[in-house]
Amino acid sequence: MTVRLHVMLGAGGVGKTTLSAGYALALAREGRSVGLLGIDPARRLQGALGLTLPDLEVPVPGVPNLSAALLRAEDCLRRWAAEACPDAETRERLLANSFFRALADRFAGATDFLAAVRVAEWIERHPGLTDLVVDTAPGFNAIEFLRRPEHVSAFLEGSLVTWLRWMTKEGGALGGLVRAGARRVLGALSRIGGTRLLMDMAEFVTLVEGVFTRMAARLAAAQTLMRGPGTSLHVVTAVRHDAAQSVAQLVDALATLKLAPSSVIINRAVAPTLGADVAQLDVGAVPPEVRAVITYAQAFGELQAQLVRAASAPGRTVLVVPAALGLDESARLDALEALGRHLLPLRR
Amino acid sequence: MTATDTARQVPRVLFVVGKGGVGRSTVATALALDFAARGERVLLVEWTVTEVISPWFGKPAVAPGFTPVPLAPRLFVMNYELRAVLKSYFVEHLGLDVFYRRVIEGAAVQRLIEAAPGLAELLFIGQLWWLTTLAENEAGLRFDRIVVDAPATGHAVSLLDLPAAMETFGASGLLALEVGRIGQMMKDPKWTGAVVVSLPEALVAEETGELVPRVAKDLGRPPLAVFVNRSARGLVRPDADTAWLAALSPPPRPGTRDSLELLQRELSARVAHEAALRTAMAGQTRDGVVSLPEQLALIGARPPLEVVQALAPAVRAWLSGAEAP
Repeated sequence: MTVRLHVMLGAGGVGKTTLSAGYALALAREGRSVGLLGIDPARRLQGALGLTLPDLEVPVPGVPNLSAALLRAEDCLRRWAAEACPDAETRERLLANSFFRALADRFAGATDFLAAVRVAEWIERHPGLTDLVVDTAPGFNAIEFLRRPEHVSAFLEGSLVTWLRWMTKEGGALGGLVRAGARRVLGALSRIGGTRLLMDMAEFVTLVEGVFTRMAARLAAAQTLMRGPGTSLHVVTAVRHDAAQSVAQLVDALATLKLAPSSVIINRAVAPTLGADVAQLDVGAVPPEVRAVITYAQAFGELQAQLVRAASAPGRTVLVVPAALGLDESARLDALEALGRHLLPLRR
Repeated sequence: MTATDTARQVPRVLFVVGKGGVGRSTVATALALDFAARGERVLLVEWTVTEVISPWFGKPAVAPGFTPVPLAPRLFVMNYELRAVLKSYFVEHLGLDVFYRRVIEGAAVQRLIEAAPGLAELLFIGQLWWLTTLAENEAGLRFDRIVVDAPATGHAVSLLDLPAAMETFGASGLLALEVGRIGQMMKDPKWTGAVVVSLPEALVAEETGELVPRVAKDLGRPPLAVFVNRSARGLVRPDADTAWLAALSPPPRPGTRDSLELLQRELSARVAHEAALRTAMAGQTRDGVVSLPEQLALIGARPPLEVVQALAPAVRAWLSGAEAP
């Protein structure tokens, strides 16, 4: 059976993480077999779920059918390195390689790639899974892996990498027997970066091949899944002055990839009656120390109405999720589930 | 060196750091506009897929590349892109145009370069240095000041941490020279500095509490200031209760009542989070915490440039060393 993938996209700070958790919880309580992949190291999500989330999925206590994991770049790379390395000694050499260490650091910012690979890994590991809810990095970064699919796999192609691999396999240092073309390129690179850098790079290329081959295969699987009929993309926004602009930019970016969101979720909204009711109020009766609340309410109500209009488009659901009193202070399972229930009309 | 009459010493290259959604581009633009208003030639540098600031000035988004585009008097914007800068670096700066065409332009090397950790960041910083030094002679580009809208938290820190990160490669040759030169510049408080943008919200404030010491460690000195965007200081009394809601006439509908209570709590919480952030940040920045007041009337209809312009008094007060207005 095809897994339904629910991908939450949006700018930072709009409540993607909390909504993702709530949605996953609500789906699991409906009896589906659900996974929740978080990327935000916010302790609040872990506190709300009542556990410390490891990189590899674990069952959420008290919620049958729900597993959750938090993407941790270094743990992922270590696990995948272990999977791909034939023996402990090779693994240690890889983990100690300066390129690999730098790459692991770098990958901490490339959560889109890692999340995509993780999604494929998760589905491999759990054949019975019906739904996977994926929280993503803020903004455009989340879909970068669809924009440049060659990023990971292309690393291993091309003659330079072939030369580097040959260099380490033959055990030769620079010079001597190197073929003419290779000598020119490698010589020029060593002039720029030095021979030690080059040797490290060459060793890295050799060691990392298996890790990358596996990653590239999973990435390809995730890309196919992302474009498949079982996937829904949800653009989440809060009521903020930059919201309409950032939703439009994200929708445009998706359009360049020939993708469209199935919904725009307007999170932490106020009651639709707010603007009209506040207009009727006798502001003189409002104590001066909170009068700013009235100004704020008027502006907020107006902004929200604008946002709903701007987000509407044919074939797209605009879902308004009201802010709930008390959710922020005591983000416990029931409060999270109550929040997530607002999203159930989006399920398929 | 510059036309600025600021009482505070602000480095030539200013990194504006903070997680996504805090208003980093807004603050970077407000700072850049203020420098430009003082008569400096200012370059605002973004590093992003879709450049956001130009549309605020009614201009099309600047494509990734290496061309400063005029936005306003004395204000220019550039959207960094690795390949364009790589070419300018090899061809104009190192004078290795044959090498560039024969080797670097090849598809295999281009891919390796994209995958090579730290190289994009190294060239980014190297390019900033070039822009403030040799660019005037080599390309006729002169900037008194560069404001960098630094990409989201993790990335920005790796930018500032670059010299140390590159040393682990044990590079020699030209790359090592470049790393050494850039390391010197990052260490020089006249050349490089950072400000951190935050919000009076629990999670963002918590991350700021972790980010500021990391920036201090990477740069070897504290950031100049923390800017608290959307500050509600002075807007509401944080201890005000919500009893007034029950006394309203006509009584608001329940949804409205709850929404008003939520909005009041949100403003009060902002005041409390900012107070906590100020306590946590005591002694951790050079100039302390600067509040950028929320403009309630500007929430909504106005173009973002008005929001940027509304920050001018607070930004100016910081630069001139005055107390916040």
